[in-house]
Parts: sequence; structure tokens; C-alpha cells
Amino acid sequence: MSALAEVGSESVDLDQLNDDAVISFADGLVGQPGWRRFVLLSGDPTDVVGVLQSVDDPTLSLMVTSPTLAVPDYRVPLTTTDRTALQLGPDQEPVVLTTVTVHDQTITTNLLGPLLINPRTRVARQLVLTDASYSTTYPIGQLGAED
Amino acid sequence: MLVLTRKSEQSLMLGDDVVITVLAIEGDRVKLGIDAPRSLSVLRREVYDQVRAANDAAAASGSRPTPQSVAAALRAARPSAPSVPVQ
Repeated sequence: MSALAEVGSESVDLDQLNDDAVISFADGLVGQPGWRRFVLLSGDPTDVVGVLQSVDDPTLSLMVTSPTLAVPDYRVPLTTTDRTALQLGPDQEPVVLTTVTVHDQTITTNLLGPLLINPRTRVARQLVLTDASYSTTYPIGQLGAED
Repeated sequence: MLVLTRKSEQSLMLGDDVVITVLAIEGDRVKLGIDAPRSLSVLRREVYDQVRAANDAAAASGSRPTPQSVAAALRAARPSAPSVPVQ
């Protein structure tokens, strides 16, 4: 098995998560309690981007990336309660993903509300990092910049 | 909306597990103490609204570019970014 999501690696960890196993957000996402069950699909061949596809609503999907792609020292402090909710053992770390939004040509990611996924049980949670001053619209790229 | 008046050091019960106490009133600021189960998320409304808006924006798929084009732009911005091949 590949290394469990070091928070700090730049991969989206799709190799751990992109099978048919459903990822379950028991409480849904913030403001969207009904967004509970997803599968993670590969968004591109190099796995810089993934797609969380709802299994309940075909029209609902979220583009995700690894926050450390943009901010190498991005850290998610987990409380004991968080670890329990994520069913993480003492030596296990969650996969950390952040949602991606494109507005006009600017690609941003939500560093304030990361998605944490237990790679073994697929239990997931969205945390809000209120102790840090992260943005929900942190710019990570510009569409068309590759031309 | 239910409206209640409380003085400093008085509390409110929300169900059996959540206690909100007015700790201090200083000018136009009210300091609240919240006792709630750790599993319950307690957020300032504006922070909650921000994250909710970000979730909604991320899901809005109307004219969303393809993941491939977004990934290409992100790779272009960071040519050295390693990637993990899907097995």
C-alpha cells in the first residue's frame, strides 16, 4: 500500500481513493448536509485534479486538488474529536483535499474548509480551520496560462 | 425568530446538551461561552457562510472548465509539481 497521505505530499492520492468505494461525509458538507456520498474520480491523467462525484445526484460534482500543491506547508490540525470522527488510528493520517473553483479565468481553492478522508474506511469530514487565516478563494492558477 | 433577553452570566439551553452563556457585555460586543458536545460544529456565522458559499461555488457546474484544462493550468503554474499516477 502506498504511503498514507502525508499532509505535505503534493499528490491528490488518487491511487488510494479512486476505486468504487464510496466516500461518506456523515454530516455532509458545511451548509450542505445532504452532500454525503461521493466517489473520487481521476480528473486528469496526472492526477493534479480529481473529481468528487456524488453517487446520489449525478449533477453534483466537486473538483478537488491537494492543498499542498499551492501551499507546501499547509497543515490541518486534528483534534481528538476529529480523529475519532474520521475513525483514524493513532498512526494514521487522512487524505486532505480542497475544492477547486474557477471564476472567470482564475482557479482558486478553498483552504479554509478542507475535506479530510480516511483512506481505509472512506469516512470523511469537512473541517473549518478557524484558527488559521486561510482563504476560501486562494488563487492557485490561471486558466489559459499553459498556452 | 425567538427573542429572549439575558443579562451577563445568564444562560440559554439549546436542547439538553448545549449551553450558551453571556459572559460579558462590552459596548457593542457580547462575549458568549458555548458548552456543546465536541462533535457539534460551532462556527461564526460569517465563516459558515463563507465555507458554504465556497462549497456551492465549487459545485456550480454550469460553465465549469474540464478537470483536464484546470490540471493543465495548475501544472503549467508549477512545472516541478510531482504527480501520482493512477494505478
